[in-house]
Amino acid sequence: MGAPVSDPGGGLPAPGHGVYDDSQWASTGDLPPRSRGVIALLEENCTACMLCARECPDWCIYISSHKEPVPTEPSGAGRGRPRVRNALDRFAIDFSLCMYCGICVEVCPYDALFWAPDFSYAERDIAGLTHERAQLREWVGTVPPPPAIDPGTGGR
Amino acid sequence: MVGWLSGARKPSPVAERRAEAVTGGWAAPRPPGRAGAAHDAGILIDLGEAHPSGHGMLRLRLRLEADRITYAEPVIGFMHRGAEKLFEVRDFRQIIMLANRHDWLGAFTSELGVALAAERLAGIDVPVRAVWARTLLAELNRILSHLAFLSSYPPEIAGRPGVTDAARSAFTARETIQAAMEEISGGRMHYMFTRIGGIKEDIPAGWAGRAQAAVASVRSHLPAIGTVVREDAVFRERTSGTGAISAGQVSQFGISGPAARASGVDFDLRRDEPYLAYPDLAGTLRVVTGSRGDCLARFECLLGQLEVSLDLADAAATGLARLPHGPVAARLPKVLKVPEGEVYVWIEGPLGLNGYYLVSRGGKTPWRLKLRTASFSNLQVLTEILVGARVSELVPILGSLFFVVGDVDR
Repeated sequence: MGAPVSDPGGGLPAPGHGVYDDSQWASTGDLPPRSRGVIALLEENCTACMLCARECPDWCIYISSHKEPVPTEPSGAGRGRPRVRNALDRFAIDFSLCMYCGICVEVCPYDALFWAPDFSYAERDIAGLTHERAQLREWVGTVPPPPAIDPGTGGR
Repeated sequence: MVGWLSGARKPSPVAERRAEAVTGGWAAPRPPGRAGAAHDAGILIDLGEAHPSGHGMLRLRLRLEADRITYAEPVIGFMHRGAEKLFEVRDFRQIIMLANRHDWLGAFTSELGVALAAERLAGIDVPVRAVWARTLLAELNRILSHLAFLSSYPPEIAGRPGVTDAARSAFTARETIQAAMEEISGGRMHYMFTRIGGIKEDIPAGWAGRAQAAVASVRSHLPAIGTVVREDAVFRERTSGTGAISAGQVSQFGISGPAARASGVDFDLRRDEPYLAYPDLAGTLRVVTGSRGDCLARFECLLGQLEVSLDLADAAATGLARLPHGPVAARLPKVLKVPEGEVYVWIEGPLGLNGYYLVSRGGKTPWRLKLRTASFSNLQVLTEILVGARVSELVPILGSLFFVVGDVDR
């Protein structure tokens, strides 16, 4: 997150908390569940597989991870090779580059990415539009349940 | 600081001439007596037509005799992003994300063209449910595009009684359709809802009915929206007899869409080379044409087409609701490769003909994907129809050609 820009009017909220008050025009409550406002990350589900970052048409997803050994079961001592898994170090989406196409949400095989309807996260400083994992995790609370599907549709 | 920026050095006559050539001689003359350091100090930032804040604006170079235009040249390309080149390094799903941007009022049509081209070349059968849903979405998108051109009037018209109401009605009408589009796709402008083989997601329960209600609501606003074009004396006086395009010019410049039909060219791909579910909607589809080819005829054509699109959307929603159970997309491999070959697909977009020439060498990205956009061709006729017009006629002529600058420059 970049340093806040000095504000001549003063009294602006801290970056990352919606500089502009959009409440008078629209509320996210009126928006349909599929509305593509912001992308939420459920990091518990993320395996740092990098699929989303690779499929992103303009590469605005930043992921870094390291390998961690998985504790072996005591009963199987001496058998099998030691297992490792990916541990997430950084997951960030730069919403100043994002084209809001949703390919990342679509390709995630582990249900770690979701659309949420909130759109009021404008910033004075463009660096503030890069949402790090903690902020992306916060959006999870605002993810609506998917809409009911037309009974005539028979899936893909 | 670099010398030429600080203004310490007097620019050579050659440099001055070059600067004039770059600006087309439009640069304001340097105020006499202010050529000193204070005037030239610091870095000059040009907020000209190439600046991103001016996106969507058209630059015209005109030569005048009094207020009569003797020469007109549209200067285009400031929003050129090389979309066709970018397509070559993206798979077909990523291309849909890019292709729906250049005509920001007709995003769904642009998505559709790419998908139809890839499907035709790969021999993919699209499930009937997706075909009808696509037809409905294409017509809803056409309504949105037409309403955008019927909702913005120049200030001297906008303040007149009835006109403000008309513009407000058109905006309200757009909002209801946009709500339906957002409910199914999640987007208000860039829907990203088409996929090769069908549509992205299942249709929400009851959506077709809500889309139909939105169409009915737009229909209830139609009388108010049409007042300006049908009744307003000043609007009709300023648009009739001006900016006339002949049928000859239509074929000469490749003009299409409402701008061509207003000149009596009776051509509409939805009827003449039907795709999607249009063969089944032939009874509903009427091709609206004019004869005079002037600005007013183009607006009347657009208004007539809006009504037809409302009928088509209504019929498509009814058709969609009657379909048997079934999928909304074909089953395809995760990595889609389009077999070697080439195909040209053209469809009737809101602004005219959209063409997609796809060449594949069997990869997951196209070897070449050439776009033919209506705005680009329609705009070229300005070089002829502006000559002889007065400066005051610029506004009706530009407003009635129905182009989107991103669709010109792409």
